[in-house]
Amino acid sequence: MSSASPSYGSRPWTFYVLALLFTLFVIFLYGPMLAVLILSFQGPSASLVFPLRDPSLMWFDELFNPRRTGDVVGAFNRSLPLAIVVMVLTVLISVTAGFAFRRRFKGATLIFYTAIASLIVPGLVLSIGTIVTFRYLGLSASWNTSGLGAHLSWALPFGLLIMFAVLGRLNPSYEEAAYDLGASKWQTIKEVVVPIVFPGMIAVALFGFTLSYDEFPRSWLTVGSKNTLPLEIWTMTTNVTSPALYALGTVTTVISFLVIAIALSSILFIQRKRSRGK
Amino acid sequence: MLPTYLQVAPLTVVLTFFFIIPVGLVVLVSFFRYQMLVGIVPDFTVKNYVDLLTNPTTWSLYQSTLKFTLIVLAITFVLGFWIAYFLVFHVRNLLIAIGLFLVCTVPFWTSNIIRMISWRPVLGKEGLINSALLNTGFIDKPLEWLLYSDFSVVVAYVHLFTLFMIVPIFNSMARIDKSLLEAAVDAGATRWGVIWNVVLPLSKTGIALGALFVVTLVMGDFFVVTVMSGGLSGSATSGIFNDLQFLNYPRAAANAVILLIIVLLIAASIFRLVDVRKELVR
Amino acid sequence: MNNMTPKAPLDTAAGTHDSGEIRLVGVTKKFGNAYAVESIDLTIPHGSYCCLLGPSGCGKTTILRMIAGHETPTSGEIYIGEDMVVGKPPVERGTAMMFQSYALFPHLSILDNVAFYLKMRSVGKDERRGKALEMLERVQLDHLKDRMPAQLSGGQQQRVALARSLITNPKVLLLDEPLSALDEFLRLKMRGELKSLQDELGITFVHVTHTQPEAIALADMVVVMDTGRIDQADTANTIFNRPKTPYVARFMGGQNVLTGTVEANSGGAGKLKSAAGSTFEVKLDDEAAAVGSQLSIAVRRDQVAIRRGGANTSVGVNSVAGIVEATEYQGSYVKVTLKAEGDEFVANVSDRAYFAEPVETGDAVVATWNAEDVHVLSKVDTGGASASYLEGGH
Repeated sequence: MSSASPSYGSRPWTFYVLALLFTLFVIFLYGPMLAVLILSFQGPSASLVFPLRDPSLMWFDELFNPRRTGDVVGAFNRSLPLAIVVMVLTVLISVTAGFAFRRRFKGATLIFYTAIASLIVPGLVLSIGTIVTFRYLGLSASWNTSGLGAHLSWALPFGLLIMFAVLGRLNPSYEEAAYDLGASKWQTIKEVVVPIVFPGMIAVALFGFTLSYDEFPRSWLTVGSKNTLPLEIWTMTTNVTSPALYALGTVTTVISFLVIAIALSSILFIQRKRSRGK
Repeated sequence: MLPTYLQVAPLTVVLTFFFIIPVGLVVLVSFFRYQMLVGIVPDFTVKNYVDLLTNPTTWSLYQSTLKFTLIVLAITFVLGFWIAYFLVFHVRNLLIAIGLFLVCTVPFWTSNIIRMISWRPVLGKEGLINSALLNTGFIDKPLEWLLYSDFSVVVAYVHLFTLFMIVPIFNSMARIDKSLLEAAVDAGATRWGVIWNVVLPLSKTGIALGALFVVTLVMGDFFVVTVMSGGLSGSATSGIFNDLQFLNYPRAAANAVILLIIVLLIAASIFRLVDVRKELVR
Repeated sequence: MNNMTPKAPLDTAAGTHDSGEIRLVGVTKKFGNAYAVESIDLTIPHGSYCCLLGPSGCGKTTILRMIAGHETPTSGEIYIGEDMVVGKPPVERGTAMMFQSYALFPHLSILDNVAFYLKMRSVGKDERRGKALEMLERVQLDHLKDRMPAQLSGGQQQRVALARSLITNPKVLLLDEPLSALDEFLRLKMRGELKSLQDELGITFVHVTHTQPEAIALADMVVVMDTGRIDQADTANTIFNRPKTPYVARFMGGQNVLTGTVEANSGGAGKLKSAAGSTFEVKLDDEAAAVGSQLSIAVRRDQVAIRRGGANTSVGVNSVAGIVEATEYQGSYVKVTLKAEGDEFVANVSDRAYFAEPVETGDAVVATWNAEDVHVLSKVDTGGASASYLEGGH
């Protein structure tokens, strides 16, 4: 598998160089998060420095105090439901659209490229456009209307691409076999196709949730007067230099990790069940 | 055919309402007038564009953005290529390769803002790196240029966006038939020759896609550059941002349209190199 | 017959209403402007084992899928028993299809795979699992009932696919290249099992293959196809000994095709002269060709004798002279390929005969046969050996 290595088993020197590069990269990726994690446990001396003096949980406490650190709880109570709604809608819309694209139909290419374009256009441009649209319609921007739509414009193309990859690899013989055995169109989808592509749907859900939960540029302005969590954090970075920010960072990262872990382990569980049995 | 159109309808509706119409309106508004204290006045004027294009600040902001874009593109490409190469060709166990790939991907699913500001305590004057260097005696004064500088902006960009290079390149490389590499070696190619003549051309699509993502993300960004440069550097979008603060939507819109055109031009030239639909749908 | 438990055949009556006779009448299938299958007429008797044989692209799989209901003919009718089935879904035709890739549902255990058909008919869980288990017992896989398809070997997967098809009580079983994915040893073993199964069940089997020995081993009726048309549909014996066309003669392997002009024809004893000057004696029946017309004949490879001979030795009737191009040892015989009459000519010489007087590449030889072993073809050969690109595998 490695190119041009003359003997089995032993690795060329390039392997070690690249392995080192990879390790450094992983440290580079995770290091700052680790730093934030550690810093969120620091004590009241509250200097954004190392090393830690008297560790404590006080900054986690501060998060729930809106006067000092901004409306974290409130923002969370908007981000979380929004992310869940985006997740559900992304799965429903991407999956059905993905199925539609299995056939040729007029306008397919146009819609496809529009979706890709939606990914490419800078978020700020879309935010401006969305609130202008809402203003002209006489509606006010709010996290559960314009914010929702803006998040969908980012999550749906991702979901669509994943469904393409998954459905593209789906062997059409499964559906033919089901049809041969008497399944109707609907039964085939319910009993055969959906179970088989279910891991892909979990991935779409994961993207839908995280892309919304962490979304910043497209939330800007479109969520209205009440901030989502990333926007609240943004406000805090410009106004607040307290370590409560780091505590918040830790909390939000832990939540993300939980979601990722649930999604990935579900996928893994399903794959193993299919290849190894119950 | 009706069910098919029904199936794709929700997607089309969302895209129309939250993408096409907003972008269309942005273009429209860019031709309107802005009057102080009155607001947006529907009109047809190119004054906004003229203002922006004749204003040297606009040019310097775009220049600054393009500078960052190119630097970040170069670094993320080098990193992305070699890491993808390592995962695909040096890691022998497929499961481990996927595992390591996931390890790289996980940070993507956490908050960008948090990841960005996590660099402050690391790069700051009293931060991790400076403390370590001071304590071990490599330097006697903390390095000022680590944070709130071009350096920190680039570091943050690379930190956030390298993944967008790794994934498409990994995808392209994984599809390369390994026996092609063996054939090249049989024909006498050195390791480097194999990379240059076989791997690189066959990863072209992935590289193009990665470049596309990185360019659009960097050019469309404003919060990374603002926070990490401490407000010292601007970007194309900070110009837009400023106009928005003053509610000058028309000029902000015009600026946005200029940005959009530049990004689309870059995207179009990348699409020219690569048949994106075939690659994505396969 | 190791893997099948002898049991009473499935409840399929051979009466006219439940007949598994298949009739294709004027069936055509076009994809765009290209004909996959053109104006096919075919009758497959109830309870027979029929093989559709031909190279890739000849249309055999298209016909199978049209019988199954997975493709619709552009024009023409298909009858299964008394019913005209075009437009009916597969499950209403009394057919069941076994896919080339088996298409076992990866997310269901093999028990649930087999029970799928019953689930679609809203049979209760316990009842359908019980019946599925019985079916698995017939293929001797009941002990693996909770396994997932990915855990089974190729041969086992195929038996599950069989069980899944048979539980539908079909009149007709359609098999799409069922043995292609197996290795040689397994292929021969499964071949025998398929034959026994069909004997036991008494239903019609339609089996698509591109392997000639497989077809003649299994089939009561062989249908040889070439680019969308049926060249010949007959018993295996007839196809092998009395091919109608040069294509069938070559494709079935073991036949050499020679062409000549009729020189004389008196009372059924004909004489042909080839372009290269060789003379062939042949028995012509009542539809004897007129003097001066072209005729093609076929001679089986194993009915040809080889002897050394050069330009000096006279070449008698029913002989051709040629240069040996290749010799290939095949155990009980040696395949000697000559260039003769400007074309390829093959003799399968028994090993005893060969090693008594071996010939090597480059030798000049004469190949002879008996006039009784010659068979007249209905069509004159135009293409030559290069036209048939699929070896019979002899």
